[in-house]
Amino acid sequence: MTTPMIARIADHLFWLGRYVERADATARLLNVTRTLGLDADGPEADVWRPIIIATGEEDPYTARHPGDVDGEEVERYLTWDEASPVSLVRTVRAARENAWAVRSTTSLEVWQAINELHLWLDGPDGRRMFDRSRHEFYRRIQRFAQLLFGLTQSTMLHDQALDLVWLGVLLERAGQVARAIDVHHHALMGQADQAVDAMIWLAVLRVCSGYEPFARRRPGQATGPNVAEFLLLEKDFPRSIRFAVSEAHAALARLCPPGTPAGQRSVARLLTLRGWIDALDPAAAQRDLHAILTHVVDETAALGSLLWDDLFSGRTGA
Amino acid sequence: MSASDGFAGYGPLPDAYDELFAQPGQARAAFERVAALLSAESAADFEHRQALAEAILLQEGVTFSVYADQRGTEKILPFDVLPRMIAAAEWAALEVALKQRIRALELFLHDVYGAQHILNDGTVPRDLVLGAKHYLPQVQGVMPTGGVRVHIAGIDLIRDAAGVWRVLEDNLRTPSGVSYVLENRLVTKRVFARSFAEARVSRVDLYPTKLAEMLRSVAPEGVADPRCVVLTPGRFNSAYFEHSFLARTTGAPLVEASDLFVGDDDRVFVRTIRGPMPVDVIYRRIDEAFLDPEVFRKDSMLGVPGLMRAWAAGHVTLVNAPGNGVADDKAVYPFVPAMIRYYLGEEPLLAQVRTYRCDQAEDRAYVLDHLDELVVKAVDEAGGYGMLMGPQSTASERASFAEQIRQNPRRYIAQPRVELSTCPTWDREAGGFAPRRVDLRPYILSGRDGPWVLPGGLTRVALVPGSYVVNSSQGGGSKDTWVLKA
Repeated sequence: MTTPMIARIADHLFWLGRYVERADATARLLNVTRTLGLDADGPEADVWRPIIIATGEEDPYTARHPGDVDGEEVERYLTWDEASPVSLVRTVRAARENAWAVRSTTSLEVWQAINELHLWLDGPDGRRMFDRSRHEFYRRIQRFAQLLFGLTQSTMLHDQALDLVWLGVLLERAGQVARAIDVHHHALMGQADQAVDAMIWLAVLRVCSGYEPFARRRPGQATGPNVAEFLLLEKDFPRSIRFAVSEAHAALARLCPPGTPAGQRSVARLLTLRGWIDALDPAAAQRDLHAILTHVVDETAALGSLLWDDLFSGRTGA
Repeated sequence: MSASDGFAGYGPLPDAYDELFAQPGQARAAFERVAALLSAESAADFEHRQALAEAILLQEGVTFSVYADQRGTEKILPFDVLPRMIAAAEWAALEVALKQRIRALELFLHDVYGAQHILNDGTVPRDLVLGAKHYLPQVQGVMPTGGVRVHIAGIDLIRDAAGVWRVLEDNLRTPSGVSYVLENRLVTKRVFARSFAEARVSRVDLYPTKLAEMLRSVAPEGVADPRCVVLTPGRFNSAYFEHSFLARTTGAPLVEASDLFVGDDDRVFVRTIRGPMPVDVIYRRIDEAFLDPEVFRKDSMLGVPGLMRAWAAGHVTLVNAPGNGVADDKAVYPFVPAMIRYYLGEEPLLAQVRTYRCDQAEDRAYVLDHLDELVVKAVDEAGGYGMLMGPQSTASERASFAEQIRQNPRRYIAQPRVELSTCPTWDREAGGFAPRRVDLRPYILSGRDGPWVLPGGLTRVALVPGSYVVNSSQGGGSKDTWVLKA
């Protein structure tokens, strides 16, 4: 007899997806910012401070590393620091712990890939690559994350487990993209330098693998407002906030169809967010960008706790 | 054998039975062909094969002692890549003998928790049985739904210097290790692909299917399509790999106690994202002391309150049944041959090891006088704990055990140290094969249709030179076990 997903396992699957996406996002952010830092004329701190803010680690980081923000220090902090909950080493370990908890629910290939990433990052080979070839190091993490996403699609049953992993991936992605846009939006307030402006927006696109897709939709129009609108509202781009929220809602709606006791409040809340984004007017979106992004970040965070109460705790309907 | 002989220089121990070699350079008749194959493959870079095997196990996460510290250190169960062989005819005889033993132990448990004929007529001492630590008065009078108590058994066998198989102990509660049997096979098939194909080895990968069939067969009466789950203490448990392995290979959800609850109607449910779903069969890999806080440990946060009630009412099958520990108690073990005669009217097919019961004055006196020759074991411990290896012990260890035996004689038995048989085993430091002692744990599944024996079982090997202790907690490892086809 097939059994609907055990509620506790559902929670682990959701977090497995979230942590893998988070590792991917962090690696992208560090890699792109590094390249950006190489091109920038201004002080290094201008490039790196927003990164620390975007990860929510400004206070603990400043406490540990007072004074000017140093790129190499930020990279080490966000890669290796055991005290930082968002460091790559801790994020990958957390992803793997969740994968271990759901070892009987994913697939052998998914487990092997995440275990391999963990063994590499936690062992001497990861350190060595970080020291010798930084770009290859981040790229390897990004590629492992993409390998994992592919393996979930190509080796797991397309049932509740897959929807749960992707619900985690997509909600995390919506939040991460919103943060990435918002932090640069902040940094650029009051800047008049068009060249710097374009350079930073192109970097934001690169963080989201959106450089070439954007170029195809808006050739030669890489202005801040256009990039922001693309990353927020482009319905065909898999890393736009609109796409992520729509797909997250679709996955959750499959998990909790009408008439089932659990998860209905979460479905309703995610549907509201989806409808709100669909209804955004592009012009207004550019004007109120910060408020919109803040709402997206807050809502994805709120959905995380609501899903626990409503679905993963297993108390609803019991 | 040829000059490129991978076993060149291998010398069996003079006082032990070697599983593979009759004498130096001469494999046993049944294994000549396979030994030649392995020898040819082994000669080339055996160390590389061993390292490859270990890498495979680590990558696949075939580990134990996970999260022993904050960094999540994990170890693979040490694995020796050279398989242990069992000849077809020998295995056929063992299979019959193991089934005989399991049938008798099953009948003994039904009797003890039922009419107690065997105690009433004095064949087995009543006090010994009812005084066993794992005798559960709560089980008295309960006939488990599905009709079976020992669904899964692991019988530890050893081989003495004369080559005679002997039972060392029975494991009738939650025997572990079967996942290593299957994983070890995957590894040897990759590392010794050519030899394996030509050796004609009995399959072990039927186990999960047989297990799933068995679980279904013992579901409560009237349940046409039972929901079976595997119950684990959780992902921090040292045997979690095995629990998840059993769940994913049988298709049963892997649950923790907090995922289950017992409803007002004494039925068991699992919490899912579609609400509570009824559960019919629980393959539980948690100790019975932690099954149900209402019954066993009132202070425990672990377990499923009301589970024993649900079981006694016949609403759920527990695999294995609670209370089985009374039959694998090491002080009850000497009576198993008598049980076989009593219940089956047959002569026991498997030999045992001479056992001294410390609660008997005469035996106790002998044990205390011969501690330096004997192996002393606590009757209710497993995994090599609570054990004194007399011949390798220090005077102060012996003094400490003597004191414990005087204080609590029922808790100890002693046995002569059997010269366990050996297998050629890779010695990394020596860069060659050396004899290391082994045991064998075959697994027996019993559903409604009677027992089924997995061909072979888990061969555990004492990797430390000169050691007799094969437990993984004490420096032991494992080998694949090849039961050759006739």
